[in-house]
Amino acid sequence: MRRICAYIISVALFSGYIPVYGQDTDVPQDSVTIPLKVSFGIEASGPVIYFTDKNVLNTEAYLLYDFDNKKALHAAGGYSNYKYSQYNYSYRNKGIFFKAGVDFNILKPEISGGKYWAGIGLLYGISRFTWQVDSFSYENYWGKHTFSMPEQSDWGHYLEVSPGFRAELLKNLSIGWSVSLRKLLITSASKDLKPAYIPGYGSTGNSISFGMNYFLTFNFSYKKIRVGIKPEPAEEGGSGTGIIRSIR
Amino acid sequence: MRKSFLKIISAFLVIIPVFIFSCTPGSCYDETEARVKASMYQSATEKIVAPDSVSLFGLERDSAIYKKTSNITSMLFPLDPTTETCTFLVKINGESDTVTFSYSSYAHFISKECGYTYYFTIEQPVTTNNIIDKIVLTKKTIKTLNEENMRIYY
Repeated sequence: MRRICAYIISVALFSGYIPVYGQDTDVPQDSVTIPLKVSFGIEASGPVIYFTDKNVLNTEAYLLYDFDNKKALHAAGGYSNYKYSQYNYSYRNKGIFFKAGVDFNILKPEISGGKYWAGIGLLYGISRFTWQVDSFSYENYWGKHTFSMPEQSDWGHYLEVSPGFRAELLKNLSIGWSVSLRKLLITSASKDLKPAYIPGYGSTGNSISFGMNYFLTFNFSYKKIRVGIKPEPAEEGGSGTGIIRSIR
Repeated sequence: MRKSFLKIISAFLVIIPVFIFSCTPGSCYDETEARVKASMYQSATEKIVAPDSVSLFGLERDSAIYKKTSNITSMLFPLDPTTETCTFLVKINGESDTVTFSYSSYAHFISKECGYTYYFTIEQPVTTNNIIDKIVLTKKTIKTLNEENMRIYY
């Protein structure tokens, strides 16, 4: 799993070259204009998955508020309705979750230009949910018996680290994706009846929950700021301030 | 813009198979039944010694859990979660005793792949003393772990 995550992050960060924003000439500039934005969006993969698997519905909407060109407030909430059954048990879970934290942009201002974001989000999440086991079968020497557990309410707290990438595709519209790594901190459920699934967190089977998110984001600029550019040392045969630069 | 857009789309396409792979359900490889694990101790030496033969039946049950089995130093007693007591007929080297367990049971979630099972909390087992000298309870919580719960001295 670690290799998969490393691979995805590598793809994100080295997916290519991005045009410099706000440079109309080859003349070196000492600052760029960055629009600070309020953005809201939705996580797109949840509804798509629901079309193929009616047992899993995850919806999530979020709000981003740029503090500056590097940091943004990230607040999100969502609803989940999850059903799972296999040969020996049938499980249902539904509930809501909220999470909030900060997104850090690691791109240089002259690269991001307010249009691109590559970085990491650090979020704290709270989930409130109900779950029940419609049936589970237990078979041993004494025979086969079927049991059930009534609906019960629980909550869970978790931390989320989500490296990702967003790019402005059209004016005011961005798309992006992130990898989510979540660590369950505490849950009100007893240790013997840990829920199989927690809304916003995911499956509880492993110590770290892994997820992929695809975003559609609508952006609205509320302010523009000038951000200084660190001069790069001149390279032989190049100005060092060309139109195309790699993400490093 | 066009070039970077294509790069982003490419990155999406690379990731989607990984995403699908990560959603593939797994199989259950864990132990799913909690049984009382009893080690066989020889009273004279107070050491673990395998009896010549061991048979184990649920009381008034025809099917055997062990039938004249040799070379075992521990026995596993399955408990019934629908009741609060279980009695077994134990035959060690041809001599019979009964062992009765009183317990409470509670459901336990193993994993998404394996589902649920029952754990038990047992009290001191009661035994007759034809071949069994005594039973010492060492761990009263019965889980799916491979750990000793009691010692049978014979």
